[in-house]
Amino acid sequence: MKLNKLLIATLVATYLVVPFALGGNSYVMSLVIASLIIGGVALSWALLGNLGGMVSFGHAAFFGVGAYTSAVLTMQYNVPVFIGLMLGGVGAVLSAVLMLPVLRLRGPYFALAILAYAHIFRIVATEWTSVTNGAGGIARIPALPTVFDYNFGSHTGNYLVILTMVLLFAWAYDVIRRSPHGLALRAMHDSEDATRVVGVNNTLLKGLMLLVSAFMCGAVGAFNAHYINFLEPDYAFSAVWVTIPIVAAIFGGYRTITGPLIGAVVVYLVDQLFIKNFMPTGHQLVLGVVLVVMIIASPDGLLGMIRRALRKKHAAT
Amino acid sequence: MTDLILQAVYSGLLQGGSYALIALGLALVFGAMNVINLAHGELVLLAAYIAYTVESQLGWNPLAAIPAAVIIVTITSSLLYFLVSRVTVHREINSLTLTFGVGVILTNLVLMIWSADVRTTSSTWMQEAFIVGELYSMRSEVLFFGVSLVLIVALWWWLSRSWYGRAVRAVSSNRDAAKLMGINPGRTELVSFIVAGILAAFAGVALFSYGVVTPGYGSVLTVKAFIITVLAGLGSIPGVLIGAILLGVAESLTITLASSALQELAGMGLFLVVLFVMPNGLFGVARRRG
Repeated sequence: MKLNKLLIATLVATYLVVPFALGGNSYVMSLVIASLIIGGVALSWALLGNLGGMVSFGHAAFFGVGAYTSAVLTMQYNVPVFIGLMLGGVGAVLSAVLMLPVLRLRGPYFALAILAYAHIFRIVATEWTSVTNGAGGIARIPALPTVFDYNFGSHTGNYLVILTMVLLFAWAYDVIRRSPHGLALRAMHDSEDATRVVGVNNTLLKGLMLLVSAFMCGAVGAFNAHYINFLEPDYAFSAVWVTIPIVAAIFGGYRTITGPLIGAVVVYLVDQLFIKNFMPTGHQLVLGVVLVVMIIASPDGLLGMIRRALRKKHAAT
Repeated sequence: MTDLILQAVYSGLLQGGSYALIALGLALVFGAMNVINLAHGELVLLAAYIAYTVESQLGWNPLAAIPAAVIIVTITSSLLYFLVSRVTVHREINSLTLTFGVGVILTNLVLMIWSADVRTTSSTWMQEAFIVGELYSMRSEVLFFGVSLVLIVALWWWLSRSWYGRAVRAVSSNRDAAKLMGINPGRTELVSFIVAGILAAFAGVALFSYGVVTPGYGSVLTVKAFIITVLAGLGSIPGVLIGAILLGVAESLTITLASSALQELAGMGLFLVVLFVMPNGLFGVARRRG
């Protein structure tokens, strides 16, 4: 019951309070939207890391492929933008299908093989000039349209769309985690052999997690393309789309659902509002430090740290 | 056309020398600790920028930067070891993200200290032509290829003959058994990080002496080193050298025959093909598949 009330309060706050309180300030709104974009990517990364047990350094591949798929489809084939967002996710899933053979590898081999894919996709996007216009990039990507007299292209409209996407993804993540498959995936962490013996198809489940994660990341990438209206390979496949989400997910706690989202908002806003001001170049240095400190001090993230502190307090009283 | 191809193969071969040094450092740490050090390329980059500072501030030949580079890089590498050794839970995932974080820190430190400009040597002595028959190269390329070979032989001697070298191999094949034989695994792992740092320092100075460096180049180097260890398979020094030369040749042939934009693609393609067709590498023992 307590959780439900909290959930409703959060929904009311995010859907009603935030747009009314901050809607007028387009700078703050743009920061909030950007942090939700990071949050979506962080969530998809954490899903793969938590449920699939795989560290990916190649999520920029899904982000970029999603962005390019939607941009090209809406501009050259007149696909409606909202359908383009979905198809961006589908495009990322297709690119993830190409990566499925990588699942035979484990640990660091997987992490770097997927990074190799991200590099390959970036080079393809740069060289395939007839479709992507190469390094020149694509400009004037259509913004989100006006539907039923509501302009989703405005800051508040964009905010509502990305918020809904991220919440839907979080909900889907929760459903997967609670399902029997989620149980099997969590059991896989403790022993892959044991779960295999009781009849779980490890590779199939891990593959599905890769596809789900790719879809989420691709759809967020597509949204980002329509939000900023511009794409170029070095931007769409930038390492930033890997670094900040990883820091956010680790900071918040990548084994929880809310952790990556809270982490994304905190890390991104602190980075943009404070660190960037007194460290114009190399402000990502602080992100690296945060990552290192969190891994050593509290690998289960801020939420885990708070939970442990609370438990200690309970024990004391 | 044949001349061009021969020339490309020769350039790739020379490039393979420093690639091998970088890959050996990565493989050494991976063998001893089962950790892929994602900040390894940044260590190499650090050495390259130290060489730049020595050359631009003091006006010395980049070769004179080697002692300073070795000292600073091994200190950084040892610090990295102390961080990695603090990781206790979910070691595989957490040590990967940890070294990734250190890589981000080092990249941005380099960016802040030396700015985003592309740097290369201005020493004419280094850039002087060195011609063997029909084949052309810079003096620095040949020089550092020789240095790499010497270092690789020294590493081979160290691993097979010296006490610590054999301890590193013992720890990588069976940590618990090595402990029972009176080897301190922690100290051995530290030694592997230090040796990896020394190799990275030489490779970095080499890279600066015949190529160009930018702050973002570190992660590219890490990926290249990783590709080479995959090509070679684990536990084979000659394998790493051959893998490195293979990668160097594949890259320079791609530049000659296609375009320089596709250079990275050659390495990545080679990497994926080997992973899928020969998952144990060209010379390695089975270990990698889950």
